[in-house]
Amino acid sequence: MQSDLLTELGNSLLTGSLNDERLMTQTSGPAAVQILPEANVIKIGGQSIIDRGRVAVFPLIEELVENLGRHKMIIGTGAGTRARHAYSVGLDLGLPTGVLSVLGTFVSMQNARMLNYLLAKHGIPFIEPAQFAQLPHYLAERGAVIFFGMPPYIYWHGNPAVGRLPPNRTDTGSYLVSEVFGARSMIFVKDERGLYTADPKKDRAAKFIPKITVAELKELDLQDVVVERSVLDLMQNATHQRSLQVINGLERGNLTKALNGEHVGTIISAD
Amino acid sequence: MNDGRHHVQSMLMRESLLDRNVEKSTETPVFKMLPEAHVIKIGGRSVMDAGRAVVYPVVEALTSCLKTKKLIIGTGGGVRSRHVLSIGIDLGLPTGVLAQLALADSLGNAHILGALLSPYGVVAIPPEMFGHLLPLFITSVPGVIFNGDPPYSLWEHPPHMGRIPPHRSDAGSFLLAECFGCKSLTLVKDVDGLFDRDPRIAPDANLIREIDTDELKRRNLESLPFERVLLDLLENARQLKSFQIVNGRHPDRIVAALEGEHVGTIVHSNPRHPG
Repeated sequence: MQSDLLTELGNSLLTGSLNDERLMTQTSGPAAVQILPEANVIKIGGQSIIDRGRVAVFPLIEELVENLGRHKMIIGTGAGTRARHAYSVGLDLGLPTGVLSVLGTFVSMQNARMLNYLLAKHGIPFIEPAQFAQLPHYLAERGAVIFFGMPPYIYWHGNPAVGRLPPNRTDTGSYLVSEVFGARSMIFVKDERGLYTADPKKDRAAKFIPKITVAELKELDLQDVVVERSVLDLMQNATHQRSLQVINGLERGNLTKALNGEHVGTIISAD
Repeated sequence: MNDGRHHVQSMLMRESLLDRNVEKSTETPVFKMLPEAHVIKIGGRSVMDAGRAVVYPVVEALTSCLKTKKLIIGTGGGVRSRHVLSIGIDLGLPTGVLAQLALADSLGNAHILGALLSPYGVVAIPPEMFGHLLPLFITSVPGVIFNGDPPYSLWEHPPHMGRIPPHRSDAGSFLLAECFGCKSLTLVKDVDGLFDRDPRIAPDANLIREIDTDELKRRNLESLPFERVLLDLLENARQLKSFQIVNGRHPDRIVAALEGEHVGTIVHSNPRHPG
């Protein structure tokens, strides 16, 4: 039956149009494999964590080290204030969204390199997209790898519907790594407890939302959200990573709990 | 105010880039990087796989255009791409992996075309450097060839249905033309343009000479001669307002299209964004 499917689907794909909706519905195929089912993808916020310097970064580094050997970790980095500066300069000069995305990539790469050096004595590498084929080896040998969160779209980064900021930034890039590898979890380490009804830094009356689905979240039509909207859209189409957790990385112990599968922040799920 | 984060002074500092007002405030005019260059995508299955009798005349049409125009030539993946996708799906590999695998096939076709255009100095540029060096190359030679697929690779978006990567060589060519503010985008296929049904299945299908994205989305045609994601990309484009699909089996139409003539189907966006 499986080989029949390959022949039939293969035939259809070879002769048909990949833009034919009827054909596309057939392409879910046999069950998807989880490439790295034991891995946890952890995204360390740029503006929320790394831009705070030592006071926020060192305790997190310690906590990451504590979890080595217990949890496999693929650690992505956000960009932060330097990216905001680069985007501001770029927008003022009229640079296209794709070029802005190149600028954002460099900043998240700087952050990845800094974490790399702080974790170097544990033999944890920083890898660029071109080196992702080696990721399984490093993860098996060292228990963790670091990557920059920006997806490698560069000049091919699509425009958003509103404004001109690249819509698929470091949350999205990190999330897609968790999806493609079928990772065990996707944890966003930020500087707030999780999702609120408004930005808690601006609105004291903002209410904490411990758990919500993407559909419910879209219904709320919030002015601001804690994770890139692109992640929410992608999660609805995801095969593997259909939920994520946002946690407060400024509180020692939250990361460990999240890695252990505990609910300490906001869980957003596709269903 | 010291919020514990070390900031760099900028318009966007401290902001949540996800705040709707902040997003709106970033709508600034766009600079055109390569406004005189034309992006033209040569179909994989529809041209490159079709044999010498189809490919050679297309190459001839391109070389005649290269005398007066700057061409940025993308290539599709064709039948090899489809084959690797079908094997990949059967193995249960996810969309991002399929996208990564398919890159090799459109790159192969780029090299095939590059070999045939070598006498003109027009070759396939390695993807790692292509985006960054494109303006340099296109200044030095009249044309460059690139892998039509965008570098999304493992970071390709899971599609709404099935597992086929949604951003393939049409999308890659579109996104490049859009980012660089190019003069036009032409998709060279093996059909006269967009039809209301697949003309290879329904011989009485009607050619649609011109249509906008709103109308096309409304009609929700089952089969399109280009990647469906192009409708979204075109809607959100700030620089590229339309693209044309022409039949490469009539290579004179390639020359005509690059002259700005309407010889196939033109799909254009509805006015939504400035520029």
